[in-house]
Amino acid sequence: MDGTNDKKSCIEADILDNALVMIAILGEKGRIISWNHAAETITGYSQNDVIGSDTIWKKLYPDKDYRTIVTGRIAGILKTKNYFENLETTIRTRYGESRTILWNTKIIRESGLYRTISVGMDVTAEREGQVFRESIIDNAYVLIAVLDPKGQIQVWNKAAEMITGYSSDEVIGRRDIWKKLYPDAEYRRSLTDKISRIIAGQNYFENLETTILTKTGERRILSWNTRQIGANGVYHEIAIGRDITEQRKAEEALVAYMTEMTMRLKQPVGIISSTLLESAQLFKDGMLSHDEIILVFEGQARNAAQIEANIQEFQTAIVEKNRSIPEAYQKFLEG
Amino acid sequence: MPDFIDPRDLEKKKIFLILSSPEKIRQRNSDLIKEISGLGYHTIVVTTNYPYSVLAKMYAQTGIPVDSVSFIDAVTHTSVGSAENIPGIVRFINNPANLTDMGIAITEMLKEQSGKNVCIMYDSVSTMLIYLSSVNISKFIHFVTNKLRLMDVSGVFLAVEKGLDPMLMSQLTTFVDDVVDTG
Repeated sequence: MDGTNDKKSCIEADILDNALVMIAILGEKGRIISWNHAAETITGYSQNDVIGSDTIWKKLYPDKDYRTIVTGRIAGILKTKNYFENLETTIRTRYGESRTILWNTKIIRESGLYRTISVGMDVTAEREGQVFRESIIDNAYVLIAVLDPKGQIQVWNKAAEMITGYSSDEVIGRRDIWKKLYPDAEYRRSLTDKISRIIAGQNYFENLETTILTKTGERRILSWNTRQIGANGVYHEIAIGRDITEQRKAEEALVAYMTEMTMRLKQPVGIISSTLLESAQLFKDGMLSHDEIILVFEGQARNAAQIEANIQEFQTAIVEKNRSIPEAYQKFLEG
Repeated sequence: MPDFIDPRDLEKKKIFLILSSPEKIRQRNSDLIKEISGLGYHTIVVTTNYPYSVLAKMYAQTGIPVDSVSFIDAVTHTSVGSAENIPGIVRFINNPANLTDMGIAITEMLKEQSGKNVCIMYDSVSTMLIYLSSVNISKFIHFVTNKLRLMDVSGVFLAVEKGLDPMLMSQLTTFVDDVVDTG
């Protein structure tokens, strides 16, 4: 080995040691030959702890069952090729923390000996971020669907499953969910036309109300908002659907109730008024006796009392049916 | 006085919904009774607004033969406290909301008038709205119209025009044969 080779080796060792990914070089039977600085930082185990030994793997995978799974997966990969790519495992550090590592390996021959270079990228933060984002999407109380440029569904969250009855397995990677949700061809066509018109003016739509048919045959009203996400010419559509069925039902019930009560107040009041005026005239004309006019007045007074009770019932019902009425008005309506 | 009901329809035992303005509804009541009596029919008036004694007086003054009308009175009993039924003339019920008693009274009154050409007049759907929801009124009118058809009897339901909500109006329209707006 001449001086040039020494220098090259030094540079290589320096690069290896200062790489931002953990690099372990394994000799025969998995013994560690080299363990860089990043490996020390990520795992908490120093070179002194690991070099010359193969016990590090038991330390990184202390759970026997999990270790068996990882070993099995590696053995499976190595049956067909002598390296693996992007194998994700979870290690336990010296300090008891879990870290997600993405492994890539390569076998090299050095001085007639086979060495395995294992490169492990710490993707814990990315995975946590991904899990967090997925958790937000999954736990959102609104239907979230993400469509790729071909219109195939990429994301179908739990709320989407709950509202529509279709599981993500039935939807992901497919485009036919819309036909299932809008089985009526004419309605589907009118919706498509409407959406196309909106999209032509702007590449999103807001508060578009549609009625879907769920897997169980139930009709539900959704209010849709969409946005285009992406960059460099590759765009995905994110569609957010809020289930407003109950809100609409409550509004319809309120309108029906108000209509009913308007009818039950307006009509009888008109009749009471006419009856009293007519009876008064009949009394003046001497056509009704004293007892008869009292009978009429008492009847109309009873009707008026019942109308008052109806108004009270009306006020209470409105408050009960619509809790969004401001508190001050609720108190007023409650009488 | 215009004719509101075609005699041939009455002969066919049709059931009518007659609409009127609130100011004219009492007058329409008298007009219709006069018309129906003139065609030889006995009218059973179900009254929820005027006491029977007042209506009977008004009819007499407009020349309607007293014996051509019987009453089911849902007004007097509650005011006076008690009133005795007069067979063939009047049956009292204690409350316009008591549909069971009203149904029984209609059945009994129809029995009393069996053998005659009878028409029932219900005065009025609008006053009933004070005591009953439109759902209950609709159910009751459905029950009465079915009964009338089974017993081959004509019927008239009086109501104030433009005051019934579209849902109740459409239901009543399906129960009756004709809707006549008398203005």
